[in-house]
Amino acid sequence: MEHTTALSVKDLKTYFYTNSRCNKAIDGVSFDIKKGKTLCIVGESGCGKSVTASSIMQLLPTLSRIEAGSSITYHADNGDVEIQGLERNGTKMRNLRGAEIAMIFQDPMTALNPVYTVGYQIGEILQYHTDLNKKQIREKTISLLADMGIPLPEKRVDEYPHNYSGGMRQRAMIAMAMACSPKILIADEPTTALDVTIQAQIFELMDKLKKEHGTAIMLITHDMGVVAELADDVAVMYMGKIVEAGSIDEVLRTPKHPYTQALLSSIPVLGRGKNQDIKAIRGSTPDPYDRPKGCQFEPRCDFATEACGTYPDEEQATPTHRVSCWNYKEVDQNG
Amino acid sequence: MLTFVIRRILILIPMLILISFMIFGGLELTPGDAVSQMLSPEIAGTISAEELDALREKFGLNASFLERYWIWLSNVMQGNFGYSLASGVAITDVFFDRLPATLELATLALFFSSIFGIALGTMAALRRGSLADGSLTVAGMLGVSIPEFFFALVSLLIFALNLNWLPVGGRLLPGYESFWDRAPHLVMPVMVMSLMMTAGVMRYARSAMLDSMSKEFMRTARSKGLPEWRVNFLHGFRTALTPVIVLIGFRLPTLIGGTVIIEQVFQWPGVGNEFVQAVRGQDYPLVMMIALFSVSAMLVASLIIDVLTALIDPRVRLG
Amino acid sequence: MANAYLNRKFDKMRAAEEAGQLKSKGGGRALRKMLNNRLAVAGLIIFGIIFFAAVFAPLLTQYDPGKIDLRARLQPPSWEHIFGTDATGRDIFARVIFGGRISILVGLGSALMAAAVGVAIGAYTGYKGGWADMVALRISEIVTSFPQIILVLMIVTILGQSLGNLILIFVLTGWGQTYRLVRARMLSVREEEYVQALQSFGLGTFRVCYKHMLPNALGPVMVNVTLTTAAFILTEAGLSFLGLGVPSNIPTWGNILIAANDLRVLQNNWWIWLPVGGVISLFVLSVNFIGDGLRDSTDSSVQG
Repeated sequence: MEHTTALSVKDLKTYFYTNSRCNKAIDGVSFDIKKGKTLCIVGESGCGKSVTASSIMQLLPTLSRIEAGSSITYHADNGDVEIQGLERNGTKMRNLRGAEIAMIFQDPMTALNPVYTVGYQIGEILQYHTDLNKKQIREKTISLLADMGIPLPEKRVDEYPHNYSGGMRQRAMIAMAMACSPKILIADEPTTALDVTIQAQIFELMDKLKKEHGTAIMLITHDMGVVAELADDVAVMYMGKIVEAGSIDEVLRTPKHPYTQALLSSIPVLGRGKNQDIKAIRGSTPDPYDRPKGCQFEPRCDFATEACGTYPDEEQATPTHRVSCWNYKEVDQNG
Repeated sequence: MLTFVIRRILILIPMLILISFMIFGGLELTPGDAVSQMLSPEIAGTISAEELDALREKFGLNASFLERYWIWLSNVMQGNFGYSLASGVAITDVFFDRLPATLELATLALFFSSIFGIALGTMAALRRGSLADGSLTVAGMLGVSIPEFFFALVSLLIFALNLNWLPVGGRLLPGYESFWDRAPHLVMPVMVMSLMMTAGVMRYARSAMLDSMSKEFMRTARSKGLPEWRVNFLHGFRTALTPVIVLIGFRLPTLIGGTVIIEQVFQWPGVGNEFVQAVRGQDYPLVMMIALFSVSAMLVASLIIDVLTALIDPRVRLG
Repeated sequence: MANAYLNRKFDKMRAAEEAGQLKSKGGGRALRKMLNNRLAVAGLIIFGIIFFAAVFAPLLTQYDPGKIDLRARLQPPSWEHIFGTDATGRDIFARVIFGGRISILVGLGSALMAAAVGVAIGAYTGYKGGWADMVALRISEIVTSFPQIILVLMIVTILGQSLGNLILIFVLTGWGQTYRLVRARMLSVREEEYVQALQSFGLGTFRVCYKHMLPNALGPVMVNVTLTTAAFILTEAGLSFLGLGVPSNIPTWGNILIAANDLRVLQNNWWIWLPVGGVISLFVLSVNFIGDGLRDSTDSSVQG
């Protein structure tokens, strides 16, 4: 049976063990990344979005681990691979990284090694995952740079990251990530460090890749505007859990979780004029070591009731739209 | 690249001039004057008072400070460093006589300490938190805390006096012909100097490596599926190398300073030993010229280090 | 999966956390990390012992460090003379703790003064920039290019050998390091917005520079003071060992070691030189431990 899902994550828990404390950065997160579609994971800083990406790639820091019971399943052409069971830097995992699942990072200036040319860094990934010889690697690198819209690629391939502009660097990173045509591309806030105009170009590029290669994209962002532009599916995260997930239409038009609603209300909309009603979310995110019992959003929620003292079960509002809130029906009516 | 080197040399020249000015000033402050020290003792001994005054006139003792400076400087540039008050030997001759001994010590110590220091420091960083790392850290701290001469005395006691494996000091004895004949004399001084410097280099290497390993591009490298050894060495180590080399460059003056004391303890006939005797004997010209020479050598060495880092690290070429 | 040891450790931490046993203690992160760093604590203790032994020296021994007693020459350690006596019958323990006063005064005192000078100049020129900055920078580069011993001895030759001169020379030759550090900090902080904000409020140079910007640099400066102290103590010991540091009528740790130049003393009378060397090493080691502890606790990027 042909899977339309590239990656299935079920009940992923990743805990951090630093400063002699146990931080439950992600505490039971589930989602699917579908082929040829973009899943946006959206949430505030510190909610665990980047940790999700690191967990999938097994790029977590030493003092952390994916807890037992978590399941990250990559649906490869020749069978399923349970990523959480693989050794962190073992051969199997490394064969996946770059070739099947690739990642681009937030700040291309620090993500690229300053002492090597861009061509060298892209060439590395080809060297390790393909059988191409040096000349072929160089040719392929130049064509990748050209595909990503970098002018004069024959010259640029021998330049260093600091010779590139911000937008070009990110394109180079995408070129590097797409070098082996991976099935899954994870983008961790790829445009946060860039100008808005460059942002648009980068997203255009990613959309093009999705259509041409059928790549499954997982895009992490805190910007709802980006979500509206690019996402096919959305998952909203708060304090290490997914509070609402569904297709872009469902979540944006009919948000059912108070947090999602609050997020959407706090964005100014172009065209509504200066008297539009922008509501900031009251309160602030709790200390991860001192969490509320039950629903994590409860202290800041306008719909909170006594039931919120225990963590809400996940309910299916529609077959594709799930939400974790006792009072979602009420929230829906007020939205 | 070439412009970088030229720029660096251009910065060097005014600094050398400033230093020569300082040294000249130092010479003027001490009893006697710079000019008469330019005369060789034979001439100074046989010269008559009128001739001396005429010479002073010619050399410009009655001229301004700047003119005297200029005369002194041109002498120095032509290789006339003046004469030692104590022995009457031309100072340039003293250098040529003594320099090889000190160079031997310094280059060997630099070589061993760089290699071992970088290797051990990198190893400690890769195995952070382990027993090896902990013991190397403590050993490193001991190495930078024990006074060099004390360590030298202890090794003298153990290896020369008690065990009789190595000679007590000196560099040459009559009858030595090849390098291997006098190698035993080299062992202890080089060992003492290297160990002290290795400890310092090791600490730098470790912290530079740790710093490099925590950078974002390490994660990118891993995300490409590269094996750990390549990530650690070609990405981590390579980037850590620049600050380590720079820091080794900063320690060079300490290395040369170390020769001053070590040469005393082991009776090594080098420039450092000569310097101490000159200070004790208030041989001002010799003291000043050795000081001038040592700092100039350090400036040139730091230029070489700069060029070296520019070769391996493209970011340096911008600055 | 990660190794078994880490797994077990994590399991314990997770269980404890879920049972609500782990709560934040007060006292601030820096202090906590410092106390957790056992080496730094050990360093503090050793430093304290030696420091106070030097300060309270007259109370700790009845012997005068300079008093010659030819009848008690070259005696090994005993109940009467804890460290034994030297070639002229002077009590070594007394010489060591009195010597400590001078060595610590020169080492620590000069380091503090050099740091003060470096901070004052670095803060000012780093903030102002321009001509003064360039001159100060070039001079500090020259001073740090000199091997310190050679520079010190050169100035000793000109000025003469005395305790006061030595301290002065150490400060003159040592301010460069702290200066560069503070200047670098000032340069990076200067571009930050809050500085421009303060300037736009009309605050004078002095206040902006010293009261607002400087506290950012204090952590590394303190670490640097410990490093400089260590370096100065070692340099003073070396100089005095050569007989060119503190004049030999004043005992310091360095000139006590001069006796070891005699190979017979080296071999037969270990108590004359070994304890002194040990004390110097321990003191410098403790200062280095403290410095490392300070660095770890003021540096927020260290994981764990």
